Amino acid sequence: MITRRLQYELVKRLAAPLLVQLQGASKRLKGRQGPRPGSPFGPPLKSVALLKDLMTRHYLEGRYADGAVPVAWVTSGFPVEILRALGFFSIYPENHAALCGVQRLTPELSDAAERVGHSRSLCSYARTDMGAVLLEKTPVGRLPRPDLLACCTNICQTVLYWYRCLADHFKVPLVLIDTPFVYGESQEHHQQYVRDQLEELLSVAERIGGRRHSSEELVRVARLSHEGTLLWGECLAESTNRPAPWTGFDGFFHIAPIVTLRGSEECNAYYRHLLDELRHRVRHGVGGIKEERYRLMWDNLPIWYNVRDMSTLLAENRFNIVVTTYTNAWAEAGKRMDPTDPVGSAARSYTHIILNEDLDRRLELMTRLAREYHVDGALLHSDRSCKPYSIGQVDLKDRLAREAQVRALLLEADHNDPRAYSTEQGNTRLQAFMESFA
Amino acid sequence: MRAEYMREQKRSHGRKVLAVLPIQYPKELLTAMNVLSMELWGPPGAPRGPGASRLQAYVCSVARNAVAFVQAGGAAEVDAFLYPHACDSIQGLATLIPDLGGEDKPALHYLNPKGGYRPSSRRFVAGELRRLAADLAELTGEPLSADRLSWALDLHREIDRLRARLLDGRARLDMTDSDLYAVLRRGEWLWPEDHLAELKLAASRLAPMGEVVQRGVGLLLSGIVPEPMSIFDELSSMGAYVAADDYAAVGRRVVRKQLLASEDPMDTLAWLMFAYPPCPTRSTSLGQRMDYLDRLATRSSAEGVIIHTVKFCEPELFDVAGIKERFGARGLPVLFLESELEAELSGQTITRLEAFVELLTQRRKS
Repeated sequence: MITRRLQYELVKRLAAPLLVQLQGASKRLKGRQGPRPGSPFGPPLKSVALLKDLMTRHYLEGRYADGAVPVAWVTSGFPVEILRALGFFSIYPENHAALCGVQRLTPELSDAAERVGHSRSLCSYARTDMGAVLLEKTPVGRLPRPDLLACCTNICQTVLYWYRCLADHFKVPLVLIDTPFVYGESQEHHQQYVRDQLEELLSVAERIGGRRHSSEELVRVARLSHEGTLLWGECLAESTNRPAPWTGFDGFFHIAPIVTLRGSEECNAYYRHLLDELRHRVRHGVGGIKEERYRLMWDNLPIWYNVRDMSTLLAENRFNIVVTTYTNAWAEAGKRMDPTDPVGSAARSYTHIILNEDLDRRLELMTRLAREYHVDGALLHSDRSCKPYSIGQVDLKDRLAREAQVRALLLEADHNDPRAYSTEQGNTRLQAFMESFA
Repeated sequence: MRAEYMREQKRSHGRKVLAVLPIQYPKELLTAMNVLSMELWGPPGAPRGPGASRLQAYVCSVARNAVAFVQAGGAAEVDAFLYPHACDSIQGLATLIPDLGGEDKPALHYLNPKGGYRPSSRRFVAGELRRLAADLAELTGEPLSADRLSWALDLHREIDRLRARLLDGRARLDMTDSDLYAVLRRGEWLWPEDHLAELKLAASRLAPMGEVVQRGVGLLLSGIVPEPMSIFDELSSMGAYVAADDYAAVGRRVVRKQLLASEDPMDTLAWLMFAYPPCPTRSTSLGQRMDYLDRLATRSSAEGVIIHTVKFCEPELFDVAGIKERFGARGLPVLFLESELEAELSGQTITRLEAFVELLTQRRKS
């Protein structure tokens, strides 16, 4: 344990920073990359280098975390502040699966999960991650073994089914925060239920983490988390400007810190840096794409393996995704947080997540975003792997057109599995949609 | 038939009728408040009409068919809808149908807590029951009476005892699977006292303990809902029968545990909601579920397992690997079938069933 802890601290304080510095130096030697000639995109965000450093450090530390500090595998919508305040190192399997998706590793990893009996109809994040566990294969070198699995149903029930399998595989406890779905207004006994579970979580996490929680520390982490979500919201809101200083596709990648490092100073420092850069671009009229003629909203998760191709096709046709309901979810959460009441406000904010609210709310949100971001149209990714996000989209598409004058395209794909997406068909539909704006 | 029965219940007994989506809900509360539940499991067959395309093809057919059925006016005569919180898809319907159009009748909810018993979930269930009772009182114009609830709890325990006797004593029951399941599934829409009468009649055909009537290959069937029901005739013609049931619509809704006696019937009802057999939609642990299935297979001497689930049903599909692993280790063959609530079994499915039963028959001989 002591050796492991020393090793971890060494990596965290010395090796990881040194490695990212070396990587940065190597990139500088190769020369700064500007936009390629003929590229439809604006100059790349300088913050990307910092983002890569941050995530590299996170996963590098993770390699040495188990046995040194308590490790939790956590769903993206989990109230992680409690675990962070108790010194847990957290890994986000969804974020990890997305990393695999971008690198098109899903077919191979999913095959491994399918070989043991998991259906291809299951969420491709789950298949990707279960495959990575079975094959012990990951683009981040190594994932630390969890001491605790922490799951919140505010994004879907799927994560719970998935984490049950992980709990069975790793033989570790699974803690659950079950957030009752909000129809209209959340009821008092629903809020009480979530608060009760957060209290139950505290005692389980204390036992596994081997220490009592401190209220001061919990407030400190909650404050950082609150600040982080507000900063993230401010970054996104810069796209209400014309031209938007970045694209929604950029946002899909820059969301990583608010998901994986929420409640930490390094996360907030990163977003302060990004916000400065975005504001600088706005002041100088620098856009995410060179010529922004039409502005779109994106609904649902990204198509990770196709982000580059799709963003290029859109940009070449002067279309920019300026807002996404997905990245906006982490900004919305911050509005209900109150760091002085970390448990009560976590119950409120983590229950009122877009995927845990009724379709009336979703339509209201999309209509508001369409207005604030001045969008001309919307792309609704009908995602085979995300049923809660996709159910209702057929109606939402019609209602957006009728009530908010936002024409929309329903594009069927899968967020992580390229085998469930026809690029040709998708591009043809996108082309036809874009032509309708001429 | 159902429509005529429903009208008669309204006319003769002044009962309100709820269309109830799957799976688990406090039926005792409805019975106590003189409300008839008409469960909506599909119905089977390809979804038709204007509502057929409101959900994507990768959403399970229980949800897709329900939307199409409701929008086509199939539930026009009910007084309200009840959406128990079974999964993401049913939860989606609970907002899609009332919020975005298709049906403007009152939408009632019952949220099943996930993850098995915890002190927090016990308190939550009590709150959910109180809220549902208030919603039903608004619908019926009558408040809940403790006496009626005690009566309903007793009635449903009697129903459960009989259903358990029929399912657990299947080898001694002189009925075909088709006939047995027709009786069991009529409980999805009959008034409980009518259902009880039919169950008693069926139970009279149980042979004495130790006497075996069913001599075919005994199978454990697990899934969401036994559709199409012709699967039972096909199995029977192949020389097999259902020795153990783990369908969410049937066996997983039979409480076999002895309930803690409480002076407050609402308290008893709250305990009851945690007494059902393990079901992935409520996310009891994988280990508990596998142990339960193991016991079912052992008790019924099942010779093979058929996982007969609905395509795209995530809660069920996540458990498939575990079931295969558990029974594989025991040397019990497992057949995995996915259905889309078709009106009839496909030729391919029948061929797979034949091959599976044939394999089990050969194993028995050898």
